[in-house]
Amino acid sequence: MRFSKNVLGVFVLFALFVVAVSSCKKDKDEEVTPESTFDKPGMLTNYADSIILPQYQQFKQKIDSLKLLADAFVAAPNLSNLPVLQSHFLSTYEQYQWISTFEFGPAETDVLRANFNTFPCDTTQINTNIVAGSYDLSTVSNIDAKGFPALDFLLFGIQQDDNYILSLYTTSPTAVNAKNYLSDLVDELQLKSNNVYNAWLQSGGNYISTFKNSTGSDVGSSIGMLVNQLNFDFELLKNARIGIPLGKRTLGVPLPEKVEAYYSQHSIELIMEHIQNIENVYLGRSISNNDGLGLDDYLSHINAQYAGGSLNDAIKAKFTSAKAKLLLIPGTLSQAVVTDATIVDQAYAELLQLVVLLKVDMPSALGVLITYQDNDGD
Amino acid sequence: MEQVSIAPLVVFRIIFGGMMLGSIIRFWLNGWIEDLYIKPVFFFTYYGFEWVKPLGETGTYLIFIVMALSALMVMIGFKYRLSSIAFFLTFTYVELIDKTNYLNHYYFISIVAFLMIFLPAGRNFSLDVYFDQQKKLTHIPRVFIFTIQLQLGIVYFFAGVAKLNYDWLFEAQPLRIWLQPHTDLPVLGYFMDKIWIAYFFSWFGAIYDLSIPFFLSFKKTRGYAYFFVIAFHVLTRVLFQIGMFPYIMILATLIFFSESFHVKLLGYISKPFIRSKELIHSEGRAFHFGSLFKKMFLTFIAIHFFIQIILPFRYVLYPGKLFWTEQGFRFSWRVMLMEKAGKAFFYVTDKKTGRVGETMMDNDLTPNQEKMMSTQPDFILQYAHHLEKKYKAMGMVDPKITVDCYVTLNGSGSRPYINKYVDLTKIKDGFHHKWWILPFEESAN
Repeated sequence: MRFSKNVLGVFVLFALFVVAVSSCKKDKDEEVTPESTFDKPGMLTNYADSIILPQYQQFKQKIDSLKLLADAFVAAPNLSNLPVLQSHFLSTYEQYQWISTFEFGPAETDVLRANFNTFPCDTTQINTNIVAGSYDLSTVSNIDAKGFPALDFLLFGIQQDDNYILSLYTTSPTAVNAKNYLSDLVDELQLKSNNVYNAWLQSGGNYISTFKNSTGSDVGSSIGMLVNQLNFDFELLKNARIGIPLGKRTLGVPLPEKVEAYYSQHSIELIMEHIQNIENVYLGRSISNNDGLGLDDYLSHINAQYAGGSLNDAIKAKFTSAKAKLLLIPGTLSQAVVTDATIVDQAYAELLQLVVLLKVDMPSALGVLITYQDNDGD
Repeated sequence: MEQVSIAPLVVFRIIFGGMMLGSIIRFWLNGWIEDLYIKPVFFFTYYGFEWVKPLGETGTYLIFIVMALSALMVMIGFKYRLSSIAFFLTFTYVELIDKTNYLNHYYFISIVAFLMIFLPAGRNFSLDVYFDQQKKLTHIPRVFIFTIQLQLGIVYFFAGVAKLNYDWLFEAQPLRIWLQPHTDLPVLGYFMDKIWIAYFFSWFGAIYDLSIPFFLSFKKTRGYAYFFVIAFHVLTRVLFQIGMFPYIMILATLIFFSESFHVKLLGYISKPFIRSKELIHSEGRAFHFGSLFKKMFLTFIAIHFFIQIILPFRYVLYPGKLFWTEQGFRFSWRVMLMEKAGKAFFYVTDKKTGRVGETMMDNDLTPNQEKMMSTQPDFILQYAHHLEKKYKAMGMVDPKITVDCYVTLNGSGSRPYINKYVDLTKIKDGFHHKWWILPFEESAN
């Protein structure tokens, strides 16, 4: 035991260092030292109980009514039930923007994002399917011939009037096939959204408790998946919904037909819903607008910094300015990317800055890895 | 030269071969051969090693099979010289394919595998000796064992030296960021978001790394030191995702133990098969250097360790903050030193038409490659050159490539990383200073 004196000496020495260091730190930034542990289980409970599950439930209700209205339309297509179906379709599409972020667990299993909202849709493929009258919607080649974008095409056509659209389901030689196709698309939406909703339910697949009980921050943890998917979804907003139509990938040549909901010209509305959802998820704001524990509180708790101030404040300010810039876009997005590209570009620049804050600063401060594959570090 | 038992070297060979075999199987089962070497369409090569290419699906699996077999052969001491060379070459080749996958512990394995080629580790307790008793060695010059010990010592010591920086010691960064998510661990979780524990771990880690090679070297302190080795590496395994490395280090440091320990260990291993107790030291001969070989070996080892000691200090040749610019960062045992994250947006300008566009990064890079690239300037430059080629192939005569990149370091908050006006197609790759990196301090957002 003679040696242990030396070891003891070393440890006493650096214990002293620690005391010295931590005590002089205290003077400096006492106000920022978190006294209590952040309530991660509470945050996950808020996400699961007050946001994710209620949003899925609301979506399921929308889809169920969509199914009823589609059935009524298919049974007797006319000029009075078409607008009802159209307007309910758009409100369902809007509600979809509130669940697209949660592509983990059940939604990941059912590949909801790709199955529901691969846009732009392939109108040739849709027409081929309708003419053929037989098709397998689960194949990869049909991924852009179904879901919301395909319904958008089927219900709104190419800026034709309702009479023309109606004729596709009444007088057209392929009317029966078109009606079947419409039904099949809605059925797939209903089947998959019910699957996902039931898988989350405590009385169903009970993914909700899996989600709540995974309180770590590593790859595959609930926080890890939420932060990753929030970013993935937000980058889709920046790139697919705005960047590509604006011509960011085509040397500035705009591609107006690549916008989401091109046929109904409902892109801006969907984008506003989408960014509001992302912001609400960040804030932990519930479906009834109560501000619960969220990523914002987590960042505040650990006192994450940005540009000499709080990271949380910076992110909130950027959400506000990005939304303001998006609202400045005049008319429809497919027009604006051609006629008012500068205004769209300014909104895009705000989104880019927000991507940096959400994808670089937030995960780095939280100790969450941005990766869609696991690997060793050192 | 002092002669010692060959037993520690033999045990090290078995451990090394066995751990490598296990690591390769784990790597394979995790699907990482596919993910890291087959799926990517673009690979970040090392400067000077651009000729190292992935060998396609069949070729890559083949090289991993050879690697695994040679690790197995090293372990059992079959055709040792050949298998140790084969292991070194295959392992190093794979590492050179893509620096995205650079880890200090892979570098460590390459070096040890290289050194093992020159050591007579297969000359006892091996199939080679089983087939040819003439080859059996019982004693070897002390320098052979010291070589491995010194290499291990350098890894620890320089990892410790690297920790002697302001952020690590006086801000407890990045541990302050990294420990905080672990509040859900049993027992330990309670401490994980306490600031003092981040300081404690930082200082403990630095002192541990700096002192452990010495404490392991002295008989009196060895037992206690080894207890700390186990505690330290098990803790890192629990807290961080660092794969096999903790186990490799825990077992590799056994080489510091006495020869009687290793003789006993070998006796224990062979018990089920063979009765003889002192098997390792019976009926063999001692290794004696020829004077020329001795000179050659000692010169070689001296050069090797000279490079090892110089390399981590090459960063002083570059201006700027090392962790920010990463000029002279790799190959220096800078392990788990910083929390760095970034995002790069690349732009291409067709100089003929003046048209500007964002590039389609997501098509060429895996998420992991994109992540690694976004914080490392040499990656960014390489990728810009790749884009230049791509746009030229698409028919653009004179593309200009610029990057708008944001990086956060140890919780600093993201700030611009690269001068976004610089046309990267005009910048040559190399070891010269990368002036187009914006300085950390001035680059405040």
